[in-house]
Amino acid sequence: MSGAPPDAAPVPHDARCTVRGEALVLLPERAVWWERTRTLLIADPHFGKAATFRSAGVPVPGGTTAGTLARIDATIARTDPARLVFLGDFLHARAGKSPAIVAALGAWRAGHASLDVVLVRGNHDRRAGDPPSELRIRCVDAPMIEGPFALVHHPAAVAGAYALAGHLHPSATMVGRGRQRERLPCFWFGAQWAVLPAFGEFTGLASVEPVAGDRVFVIAGDVVQLVSTA
Amino acid sequence: MRRGLNGLPATAGQRAFRAHRTSTWRGEKFPREDRNWVKLPLVRDVPLLLPMQLRKPLKASQRQRSANHPTVSEADAQADRRVATWFGARGWRVFDFQRDVWAAYRRGESGLVHAATGTGKTLAAWMGPIIEWLAEQAPMRAGDEALDDVDDDTASEAMARRARRDSAPPLRVLWITPLRALAADTAEALGAPVRSLALPWTIETRTGDTSPAQRARQRRRLPTALVTTPESVSLLLSRDDAPELFSDLRVVVVDEWHELLGTKRGVQTELALARLRALRPQLRIWGLSATIGNIDEAARTLLGVGPAAREARIIRGVESKDVVVDSLIPPIVERFPWAGHLGTQMVPQVVAAIEEGESAIVFTNTRAQTEIWYQAILAARPDWAGRIALHHGSLDRKQRDWVEEGLRRGELRCVVATSSLDLGVDFSPVDRVLQIGSPKGVARLLQRAGRSGHQPGAISRVTCVPTNVLELIDVAAARDGIERGAIEARALVERPLDVLVQHVVTVALGGGFLPDELLVELRGTRAYAELREDEWAWVLAFVTTGGDALRGYPEYSRVLVEANGRYVVRDASIARRHRQTIGTIVSDGSIVVQYLRGGGGALGSVEESFIARLTPGDRFTFAGRSLEFVRVRDMKAWVRKAPSARGAVPRWMGSRLPLSGALAEALRRKLDEASRDEWRDAEMRAVRPIMEVQARWSRIPRAGELLIERVRTREGHHLFFFPFEGRLVHEGLAALFAYRISRLAPITFTFAANDYGFELLAPEAAPLEQALAAGLLAPRELLADIPASLNATEMARRQFREIARVSGLVFPGLPHSGKTARQLQVSSGLFFDVLQRYDPANLLLSQAHREVLERQLESSRLGRTLERLAAADVVITEPTRTPPLAFPLLVDRVRDRVSSETLGERIRKMQLALEKAAG
Repeated sequence: MSGAPPDAAPVPHDARCTVRGEALVLLPERAVWWERTRTLLIADPHFGKAATFRSAGVPVPGGTTAGTLARIDATIARTDPARLVFLGDFLHARAGKSPAIVAALGAWRAGHASLDVVLVRGNHDRRAGDPPSELRIRCVDAPMIEGPFALVHHPAAVAGAYALAGHLHPSATMVGRGRQRERLPCFWFGAQWAVLPAFGEFTGLASVEPVAGDRVFVIAGDVVQLVSTA
Repeated sequence: MRRGLNGLPATAGQRAFRAHRTSTWRGEKFPREDRNWVKLPLVRDVPLLLPMQLRKPLKASQRQRSANHPTVSEADAQADRRVATWFGARGWRVFDFQRDVWAAYRRGESGLVHAATGTGKTLAAWMGPIIEWLAEQAPMRAGDEALDDVDDDTASEAMARRARRDSAPPLRVLWITPLRALAADTAEALGAPVRSLALPWTIETRTGDTSPAQRARQRRRLPTALVTTPESVSLLLSRDDAPELFSDLRVVVVDEWHELLGTKRGVQTELALARLRALRPQLRIWGLSATIGNIDEAARTLLGVGPAAREARIIRGVESKDVVVDSLIPPIVERFPWAGHLGTQMVPQVVAAIEEGESAIVFTNTRAQTEIWYQAILAARPDWAGRIALHHGSLDRKQRDWVEEGLRRGELRCVVATSSLDLGVDFSPVDRVLQIGSPKGVARLLQRAGRSGHQPGAISRVTCVPTNVLELIDVAAARDGIERGAIEARALVERPLDVLVQHVVTVALGGGFLPDELLVELRGTRAYAELREDEWAWVLAFVTTGGDALRGYPEYSRVLVEANGRYVVRDASIARRHRQTIGTIVSDGSIVVQYLRGGGGALGSVEESFIARLTPGDRFTFAGRSLEFVRVRDMKAWVRKAPSARGAVPRWMGSRLPLSGALAEALRRKLDEASRDEWRDAEMRAVRPIMEVQARWSRIPRAGELLIERVRTREGHHLFFFPFEGRLVHEGLAALFAYRISRLAPITFTFAANDYGFELLAPEAAPLEQALAAGLLAPRELLADIPASLNATEMARRQFREIARVSGLVFPGLPHSGKTARQLQVSSGLFFDVLQRYDPANLLLSQAHREVLERQLESSRLGRTLERLAAADVVITEPTRTPPLAFPLLVDRVRDRVSSETLGERIRKMQLALEKAAG
């Protein structure tokens, strides 16, 4: 194990990543900002997950939905997007579509009435069903082709496009001198597709295994940082 | 006193021992100065230190003892005589302590019997209820005709059995055993006198292993005596007809109570007993226990506290036999393998030791070690295939049964086992016991030694096999501990709210409850005697509305409050899930390992995290077999046989047992002896070359010294501290010291702890002297510093794993539960984070912190240790190479962290780990 990487950059909160000629901004709020098309990308919010647990008699405290929505609001305020695309798993389960959740989502939607909101359906959406129509969320099946990108839920190669996906809830492990280890959520850019971190408050992490040549950006608090895979 | 060894031919084991010594011992006696065996004090009135279940009849003169023992009535006297005659017919003698227990039982008393394994505790507790029955039935019978054995099988036996079952008296005796593996044996042992005395009783078991058919039958009618586990008792209490089930219950016997005491299962048992006492005020409760340091507390915990508590009758039975502790000493104690593991280098000596006896148990400290040693022994003696076996708690029950049966019949040369064979079952043919690795505790070593020498006149002997050379010091220390009678006390668990949450839902299921009544019942247990009003209110809120943080979430309900104020469970799926998850044994999402086709089905289970690291085609070793991983499907890991024994061995969480306080103290004395150049034991003489290296490169700490070694390697700057207090205390000290030093400068420590000491490692040099001057070792501000240092680590988050599972926040993966259950799967760590953020007042979080303090770190020991260290002379050495005591810490990969840098600052200095997590 060697020392610190040579190019210990100053503190840019966001990170930039160019893919197929398009500049993407990676936000520590766990979202991707595609500035040229004014599109904000968010994966795996899993709304209603806590409510699903509660309806099964598991006392998950309230507040995760509000926390997740507040983070979306903050991200929107920072970027002012024309369009918001969810890369799947908008709702966690059918049982999570409680009146309280639907009301909270409705209030949030009303606050961003002019925003174009799209959901690329994921595996959870197929079981939970599309969001209620009053939320005015356009639901499409993957892939949704936008410029050089295929917006999808499951990370997989899409012919003729670079896929932007979710589903994995990716995390990477960092090591340092003195046997330090730290596991963090990350953006993972591979050769044919990228995986966004899960956005929802009540979602876990899964370790991923980048290979040489991949670009991995970890989220350390309010900092997104490129880490070397070499 | 050396009786018991004189006259016996020196066994080959003793020869092996002798072979590795330099002393001049040649005779039939162990010379005193070798100190490798210990005689425990004898108990009065027990002329022969024999287990009661003799295989040879005693002389007639020894049989007649019962005639003038006082009895309650003529019917009792008659019953007593019949039982004594039954003993006599088997050539057994009734011990006085057994008679004492029967008499106390007949007087309606409750109590605790403590004695060594295999000395007749079972019958002491069992014959009381039998005498009671016989006395109640006496007018209907005459004489002793029924004494002849009637357990011969006849053609009509099956029909008779069925008729008996239907007409048998309802549940009278509930027999709780900690290991379900023991249940069948216990039922068998209890059945013998019942059959011989022709009692119309039925005896059955009920555990997690009980067949659905038997369960269904038991749902209609419970047997007269039920042998069961704490979990199954809780399940019975969750039935809505629970009050009727126990309406004729006379006594609960808790077997191996010392195993349950001080654990959450013990608390679960306390709660179940309180419930049963409430249902049956006249209920008698008897515990059976090995001797432990706090036997009075053990009795009080069993019988409850407060105004309604029963007075505890503590009866001491036959104490242990002579105990010999010796070691296999590595032929050449090299200068550097001390370091690490001898691995299985000792296999030839171990095989030689096994060969000396007819049948051996080789105990290890972890399940992984069991797998490794089984393979190694088999490789050394392939001709033993089929006659050696392994036994641990993760194996399939069929395999465990086969092993236990083989041991009983004396068909197995050797079984490699974990603590799964520590308890209960009498394996008389076993004449050789080996302990691989540190004994870890005085009582533990005694118990394992007691597994051998069940033959008349035999001594108990355990031969320790070091896995690294320093463990020889532990063996010498354990022998000293046995000699001084320094038997550990069991630390008790104080009001764990997770267990209470589970129990409250159980009671709500089992007919419901009124809070005020239940509170009185709960405060009658030792664990919850101090339960506060606010805690009780929180628990009630937690199971009904989910607590403050969930108020106003109508979709949540676990327990309902009915109009009459009763707390009940109505939702069938909540009831089902609760019953499936009753219990406090937490395994990390274990997953069944099964052959793809043929090969004999399930092998046992391993932790999910181990399987998660495998990719199809990987090989691993489990249940003594080489397996190739094929895939995971239906919550099972499917495997096929692999041609060669290569590949990983699964490791199970929480399998690192800490050194007990008693043994830690004995260990410090041994080191003090070494520092004064005293080498009194064979083991200490064997480690002498290493200790001399330690002395040359650094120092051997004396009593009254704290040794700190400062070493620099390319990994960074290491500080090694050696308090010799056991791993748990060291983890707490490491967090505390790292926290205190990190307040002086921005620094990030990782730390590792073992039984001897701990290591703080940082990329930069830590300001040690400055910290010492600022009161690094001071016991003051402990109450503030310890919680703060814990918050800086992941300890509470890890401890929450068990709490989340027991309180029903997190479900283990259940077979056949399908997609719906998967939507409910979440890690306890995520739960911990969400609670910290959205419900920081949740008492389960404070419980996690308290458990880390009290159970993990034994905070009282932590405080005492600091007082000792604060008064100690600090000796700092700066060795240029890592000395022997520090080396095992240097290579330890299990680490926690304390930092005074921000996450961003730390991450900038780190790089991505590309290899698979080593775990």
